[in-house]
Amino acid sequence: MKPVRLIPVLIMVAVLILHLAACAPKATPTPVPLPTLVMVMNMDDVVTLDPHHAYETTNLMIHNSTYDTLVEFRADDLTKVAPRLADRWEVSADGLTYTFYLHPGVKFTSGNPVTAEDVRFSWMRLKNIKDNPAFYADIVADVQVVNDTTVKVTLTEPSPAFLAICAAPAMSIVDSKVVKEHGGTDAPDADQTDKAKDWLDQNSAGSGPFILTKWTPKAEIILEANPNYWRGKPKLGKVIIKHVADPTTALQMLQRGDADLLDSLDVDLVEQAKADPNLQVVIGQTLNQNYLAMTSNPELSKPLSDKRVRQAIALSIDYEGLIKALLRGYGSRAPSIIPLGILGVDPAMTQGRNLEKAKALLKEAGYEKGFEVDLSYGSNPVRETIAAKLKSDLAEVGITVNLKPMEQSVYLSEMRAQKLAFCFGGWTPDYLDPTMWTDYFSYHDRGIAKRMWYNNPEAERLAKIIGTEFDLAKREQAIKDLQKVLMDDMPFTMLYQTQQIVVMNKAVKGFAYHPVHFVSFFELSK
Amino acid sequence: MEMRMGLSVHIIRRLLLVVPMLIGVTLLTFTVSRVVPADPLAVIVSEKAMDHPDIVAAAVRKWGLDKPLPQQYLYYLWNLAHGDLGVSFKTKRPVAQDLAQYLPATVELAVASLLFAMAIGLPLGILAAVRSGSWIDHLARLISLLGASMPPFWSGLMALFLFYFKLQLLPGPGRIDSRAVAPHTITGLYLLDTFLLGDMNAFADALHHLILPSVILGWFTLALVCRITRSSLLEVLRMDYIRTARAKGLHERVVLLRHALRNAFIPTLTTLGLAFAGLMTGAIMTETIFAWPGIGRYAVEAAVNLDYPAVLGTTLLIAVIYIFVNLIVDILYGVIDPRIREA
Repeated sequence: MKPVRLIPVLIMVAVLILHLAACAPKATPTPVPLPTLVMVMNMDDVVTLDPHHAYETTNLMIHNSTYDTLVEFRADDLTKVAPRLADRWEVSADGLTYTFYLHPGVKFTSGNPVTAEDVRFSWMRLKNIKDNPAFYADIVADVQVVNDTTVKVTLTEPSPAFLAICAAPAMSIVDSKVVKEHGGTDAPDADQTDKAKDWLDQNSAGSGPFILTKWTPKAEIILEANPNYWRGKPKLGKVIIKHVADPTTALQMLQRGDADLLDSLDVDLVEQAKADPNLQVVIGQTLNQNYLAMTSNPELSKPLSDKRVRQAIALSIDYEGLIKALLRGYGSRAPSIIPLGILGVDPAMTQGRNLEKAKALLKEAGYEKGFEVDLSYGSNPVRETIAAKLKSDLAEVGITVNLKPMEQSVYLSEMRAQKLAFCFGGWTPDYLDPTMWTDYFSYHDRGIAKRMWYNNPEAERLAKIIGTEFDLAKREQAIKDLQKVLMDDMPFTMLYQTQQIVVMNKAVKGFAYHPVHFVSFFELSK
Repeated sequence: MEMRMGLSVHIIRRLLLVVPMLIGVTLLTFTVSRVVPADPLAVIVSEKAMDHPDIVAAAVRKWGLDKPLPQQYLYYLWNLAHGDLGVSFKTKRPVAQDLAQYLPATVELAVASLLFAMAIGLPLGILAAVRSGSWIDHLARLISLLGASMPPFWSGLMALFLFYFKLQLLPGPGRIDSRAVAPHTITGLYLLDTFLLGDMNAFADALHHLILPSVILGWFTLALVCRITRSSLLEVLRMDYIRTARAKGLHERVVLLRHALRNAFIPTLTTLGLAFAGLMTGAIMTETIFAWPGIGRYAVEAAVNLDYPAVLGTTLLIAVIYIFVNLIVDILYGVIDPRIREA
């Protein structure tokens, strides 16, 4: 007679009971009068939601919905600045003074009225906290409160980019009284004395259509509707943004109905998303790109310092193949590192692959037999694919590329130390003005141009015009000319400009893609 | 009297050894993290802001990057003694606060995984030993093989695809339903918090969400526990004193419970201790797949971002966990096996 094994049986029964208990009915959320939108995305980049400290990507979307800026770029017209908190503005003849007239009667979610003093406080706090986004306000010399609804801003120099800068989320107008109540300050030593960051990470002090009520790092962000928003009541009651790192799982959540919106779908999953009758797929043109940079310093690379070699390299790359293989075709290319969608950029000017011309140029420069060069980059699966493709493309013209992958922070360090001869990386804009590219890729003592030892006075001259000229036609011409100079010198070539694949439940209405802050939740309804 | 003193002395000796072990750990990680060829400024200050000397100066001032290394280390140790683990370069919050935020999720998952591994692994291992060669032995071997060879990022995705997407039996990623509100934080352990708050719906939701990740994470431990219990028990069952006990006419169950299991349990206990510490720290893949906000992911990101304070803080926490778990295992040895007490 076999004895009963009591303990193992008891344990198994306990496990069974536990599972049965777990199969109890799922938690039902408390009913809300307006629909809740659940968005899934990778929000690992969020380190703070204080608009004067934040310098990542996700915060742009959050701040656009929780705060108001003086002006904005609407998704349907990205070339023109539209009024937001400021109804209208006047520019002095010398371009140094801007007078903004605020929309009357606007209130923060606290009930405090939005005044000129809040504008002054916000921009001064941004400046004096001296964190990453502080440079946005560099151009502001002084902010004067004329009266409650009138602000006079004096610039350090005339700049056609200023209004675009005012639209950036870092220049959001915060509730000065509330921020001060929580230890905030705009004093010159704010970087040492301001204490409001922790509170602003969990709460918004804005006038926007939504209120930030919770941020759990790497887990979720919760926004609740502001029923008193001055532009009208939001059509969503709540927005829950959940962190889901794995793209397959994120799509599954959409298909199961556990989520309504996914910001960026993997290109491999597009067909699956398109096949689902409950989902709609929207393709957005971003202003983000990956570019290849080549040094002009003969000590770092003698071949690359010759512009004919750089041109040859640019002509050897199979851009179409790269976009097709890596992005399944969801990508485009501009003639230079100034992306499509910006003033003066004409896709017809884009040069593709031309192996014959490339070989001829190499021969002319004396490198008919080719040469060896190291390619540096910050390693991740996408960049490894790009690197492998570049290596094989350039091998066809006799150039031997040695791949030198490194950790991203190491790559950035080396790059900033001007040590890299041949490298590639990404570029995303902070605000929607051509200077976002022309300033960083043209001046020998600044930005990427500096890192690659690129020095051409003509490029600098044109960049200066772009940075100071208010006449749109003159600006556009300068941009066209600068592109030609850059294509001739070829210190950089754009590999591709990305498209963003957005997926949402068919029930979601009103979506319009925005390349800076992705979506305005105020425009969405379910 | 003698036995109790032996155990107390043993515990005190172990506790005293903890301090130099911790200092050794911090010295090691501090040195390693400073030897890497990258400028810590690259993490704190953005590409575009690097051109602004004010911002760079403010950052250097704030993090003491201009001070000599030995001074930086001593500063760190002093803060440590006051419970301050420094401020993370990436999140700009105190590391202790970050760890306190992410630790409960990992603890909950690790405990659930361990319980699952024990609940299935122990009886399976015992049965496999007692019925050596039978179908249950083969089944145990198969289950263990699967657990040892399937990587969690694969099995996790497969499990989600099957049980969440296709069969719709279990919930998706996250600790709770995507539209539900997280319970008010008392301990950070959702099961405990919802139970204390009396919210049984949320308790069931949290438990439901815990099933898949703890099975996926715990499967490897299950395999270990099962195999080690089996082999250890088999060895013990071959011993002379077992034969004697049987010859005495004792019931098989008594032989098993009173004599065999107790002796066979020591290797299993060791495994469980190491496994728990491993579960606490190695859950990175599972945490990523199931959107579980734990310290595994935090640790990896800190390392990738060269976030020195976070790296040192997390390493210290992991070292403390290991030391603590080993201490408990050592004490339990003393409880189970009298011979160890007197050593």
